[in-house]
Amino acid sequence: MRLLVAAALTLVPAMAVGQETAVDQALEARQGFMTMLGTNMGTLAGMAKGEISYDETQAVRAATNIQALTGYDPTMHFIEGTSTDDLQDRTEALPDIWLDLEGFGEKYAGLQQAAQGIPDAVRGGQENVGPVVEKLGGACKECHDDFRKK
Amino acid sequence: MNGTPVRVKLWDPFLRGFHWLLAASVIIGWTLGQFGPSKMTLHFWLGYLSGALILFRVVWGLVGPPEARFIHFLSGPRAIIRYARGMFRREPSYWHGHNPMGAWSVIALLVLIALQVASGLVSDPDDYINIGPLASEVSAATRKLALRWHHIGSTLILIMVVLHVGIVLFYRYWKHEDLIRPMITGWKEVIRRD
Repeated sequence: MRLLVAAALTLVPAMAVGQETAVDQALEARQGFMTMLGTNMGTLAGMAKGEISYDETQAVRAATNIQALTGYDPTMHFIEGTSTDDLQDRTEALPDIWLDLEGFGEKYAGLQQAAQGIPDAVRGGQENVGPVVEKLGGACKECHDDFRKK
Repeated sequence: MNGTPVRVKLWDPFLRGFHWLLAASVIIGWTLGQFGPSKMTLHFWLGYLSGALILFRVVWGLVGPPEARFIHFLSGPRAIIRYARGMFRREPSYWHGHNPMGAWSVIALLVLIALQVASGLVSDPDDYINIGPLASEVSAATRKLALRWHHIGSTLILIMVVLHVGIVLFYRYWKHEDLIRPMITGWKEVIRRD
């Protein structure tokens, strides 16, 4: 009996954790993905605005990271049951994503396209960073407008 | 309605200029916000213009000509109810300035636009190209909240503007009173009550 209780006490939390993990992992993965994109975007945006002094090595590194990150397909982390309807404040992913997965994919393809060739595009001087940031930022906005909670 | 209508210079040129500039600024700014290019530079400038115009209106409401002053046209519930009773009569109001109901909708619209400008100044939509100029002065939570407010505000402003235009048309075609021309020329037929 005591063994049974002990087993139950160990298993129940383990199961609870087990149930949460899929959702938790999905959130961690896609939010981490956004954070990485954002950090590198921040570098480029800062240089474009002159808040960070232009440094070609750093610019190329950020652009290379962004291009590499967008080579990754994060849609697999948008599993069912992880919209703002299901998780409220834990996510900003609107249910519209799941209602229009094709449109969501197209917006992401737009970002992938915008990121093509940017490591070379940011070379040569601060004035080359602005157009890249505008192109990438435009792709961010396109998707945020439709699929991200305001 | 007693008394004979007289033609008076009701709206001063600054107030009329303010009105039409704000109308243009809000309409173009709103449209650009919804359908404009990704880089919202012009939307931003129209926001600054709208903010400056609202500031002017507040100053004008304190020190401007009598008809422009808040104290002249803001009234309590009793006056509003009295005015509302005659609202659907098919005759011009001949009101000397903002009527008691319209006055509060003017205030509502001004407050909404002011909030819209304020929230826009500190919004950050995380696209790295359209960051409110004062966004870095506030916390991330405030930036987020501001973005939400800005979004809701755009709907509320749309409703208020449609209501505003609708009421002006109601006066024109139901009450046979043209409110648009006075806002252009300054001249209006009124019955003085005071």
